[in-house]
Amino acid sequence: MMSDDLTTYLVLSGALFAIGTFGFLARRNAISMLMSIELMLNAVNLSIVAFGAFIPGLQNRGAVIALMVMAVAAAEATVGLAIVIAIYRNRKTPLVDEYDAMRR
Amino acid sequence: MNQELTFLIPLIIALPLAGFLITAAIGKHLGKRAHLIPVGAVVLSWLVAMVVVAAVLFDTGPAAGTRYGGGPPFTALATLWQWIPAHGFGGSPDFTVSIGFFVDSLTAVLLIVVTTIGMLVHVYSIGYMAHDAGYWRFFAYLNLFMVSMLVLVLADSWLVLFVAWELVGLSSYLLIGFWYRKNAAALASKKAFIVNRVGDVGFALGIMAIFLDTHTLNIRDSLQILGAGSIPTSGLGPAPFPIPIAIVALLVFAGAVGKSAQFPLHVWLPDAMEGPTPVSALIHAATMVNAGVYMVARANPIFAAAPEVMTVVAAIGIFTAILAASIAMTQTDIKRVLAYSTLSQLGYMFASLGVGAFTAAIFHLMTHGFFKGLLFLGSGSVIHAVHEEQDMRKMGGLRKKIPQTYRTMLIGAIAISGIPPLAGFFSKDEILGEAFKNGFYWVWAIGIVVAVMTAFYMFRLIGLTFWGKSRVDPAVEPKVHESPRVMTIPLWLLAIPSVILGAILSWPGPPLGPLFGQSGTGLLAGWLEPVFAGAQQMLGRTETTFQIFGIDGALLGASIAVAVMGVVAAWRLFGVELGPIRGAQRHDQVKALTARVPGLYRASLNKWWFDDLNHVLFIVIGGAIANGAAWFDRNIVDGIVNGIGSVTRRAGGDLARVQTGRVQNYALGIAIGLIVMAGSYLFIAGH
Repeated sequence: MMSDDLTTYLVLSGALFAIGTFGFLARRNAISMLMSIELMLNAVNLSIVAFGAFIPGLQNRGAVIALMVMAVAAAEATVGLAIVIAIYRNRKTPLVDEYDAMRR
Repeated sequence: MNQELTFLIPLIIALPLAGFLITAAIGKHLGKRAHLIPVGAVVLSWLVAMVVVAAVLFDTGPAAGTRYGGGPPFTALATLWQWIPAHGFGGSPDFTVSIGFFVDSLTAVLLIVVTTIGMLVHVYSIGYMAHDAGYWRFFAYLNLFMVSMLVLVLADSWLVLFVAWELVGLSSYLLIGFWYRKNAAALASKKAFIVNRVGDVGFALGIMAIFLDTHTLNIRDSLQILGAGSIPTSGLGPAPFPIPIAIVALLVFAGAVGKSAQFPLHVWLPDAMEGPTPVSALIHAATMVNAGVYMVARANPIFAAAPEVMTVVAAIGIFTAILAASIAMTQTDIKRVLAYSTLSQLGYMFASLGVGAFTAAIFHLMTHGFFKGLLFLGSGSVIHAVHEEQDMRKMGGLRKKIPQTYRTMLIGAIAISGIPPLAGFFSKDEILGEAFKNGFYWVWAIGIVVAVMTAFYMFRLIGLTFWGKSRVDPAVEPKVHESPRVMTIPLWLLAIPSVILGAILSWPGPPLGPLFGQSGTGLLAGWLEPVFAGAQQMLGRTETTFQIFGIDGALLGASIAVAVMGVVAAWRLFGVELGPIRGAQRHDQVKALTARVPGLYRASLNKWWFDDLNHVLFIVIGGAIANGAAWFDRNIVDGIVNGIGSVTRRAGGDLARVQTGRVQNYALGIAIGLIVMAGSYLFIAGH
């Protein structure tokens, strides 16, 4: 059941982005933070695809950009996870507020 | 001068320079033979100098023209290299300084004094310093001094002269502080160096002023320009900052005041007696302290163009003369008496320069160099004989024990007292006579008083040291001995010119006069005539013939009378044992006399409190000001600088708390920033 109103998609996208942002700010676990980032990226992707579908001038070309964002998100997730695992091996904790070596 | 001989001029300096360098490098390993190279170098240097001097002096004067067929060939210039080749271009002045050595008759006369006395002092030091651990070091320093002094005398450029001026100061410092483990010697050397710096600042400024005025640093060129009377243009348009010639003269004179220890910079010379006695004789009596007199005489066109400054020179000179003479009358240290006597005689020379009697000043410089060198070396021999005792109250009756020293010192004392026909009489009489004839009656009057005092304190010294009963320490008494021949022969060699030099140099008539082609004037006056002629002309002085039955005879009589008065007064108080003339020492009378003028006596004994005045002025008051400045620097200046530093550091420390290192905080910042930006965009776009 698809809605034919752009606003619905944008509201959903904004809600997802807000959840992602909240998760990024509130969670202390690095893995959860990475997941929140993915959520934000997907929220943005959703809005891009929605614009592509509803704005005639774009002629559905928004999907191309969404694919591009997915590739970047995949790469980002890979690098991010690699970093998190490396730090975890070093510090024996996934909690980012304990990553404070540079403050000392 | 025969131009083929010009190559000899640098050799005069090169020989002692080589002596200094070799001795400084390997002297330590030569032990008791360390004197061979330096003394040899100085003797050779003396020989070379005498050849040059003879060549110059025989060419000078009216006879010269006939001898070499025209022209006045009385100078020689040996330019070695361009030191600072800064040639002017596009209208800027030429700053080129060349290392050149210039000899004219004035330089030649100074060369005689410096090399002859220098050589004799070197020989004397072989005996005097024989038992000193720093034997080689002493000779190295002496040779360094000879190099510096010779460069000073021969310099052709103000800058070279100034370098040599500082070098003699350095060697003087090294030699005063030769016994550097002795605290008094170390302090005295520092005092001499620092007091000299005061005058040197003036001299350096004077040289800068000369360059600004004349656009050249060459001594002869600049003097020629300044002697013309008006501030010159030298082909470059008017000088940018024309310094009045009176200021130039005063600044240059300040340098002379420091080096020649004139009031108020006279305080260093008596303390310099902490150095070994040969040093006192060579540097602080016969040569270095004369540098100021030489320099003012050399710069005579500047002074002739500023007659008011010449009055200042005369006043400072004659004031120093009477001040120092009054102190010399009560001192008990044999070397200090001689030191104050040197001050006093230098004062005479400056008085003579001030009244325009340049020749008389150089004449006195020459005779004084010889007899004061003799007196100092003699005092060294006395000190040696009584085992390093310098207090005259612990001497007395040494006449029979050290007869060579006694006789030579007696000659020196008669010479300095101004008894004819010894050297000092001629030169001192000429100074006093010139002062009177040039209208400086006050200089003459004070000079006469100083002459009495000079004769008095010299015979007080002789009386206390050689005559009367012995007051020598009984433990030392049997061991008193005459100095070795290496010390007494230089004494005799200095005694000879102390006797005859005055007569030779100033005798106006036959047989000497015609021998050198002079007529009317004395030998020295004839030699120096070309150097001082311009200044004499500017001052409007004309040669007058000597009137033995006129004014000259009267002045001459007065000079002899006061000298005899001083001698007799000293004899009455401090005894005499001269052939048939006998007199006992009357210490009770001396005491009674000093009790009658206690204020004057104390003033003289305490050197008119000049050291105390300097202590109050520069140590107490100057120290307080320095402490205040230091407080200001520490608290105010440093406070501001440190304050800025600590404010920055504290601000940084406080702001560092923003950097929590927590990713969430940064992310929150980014999010808030984004919301604010987006919100304000929407807000503005909405309106």
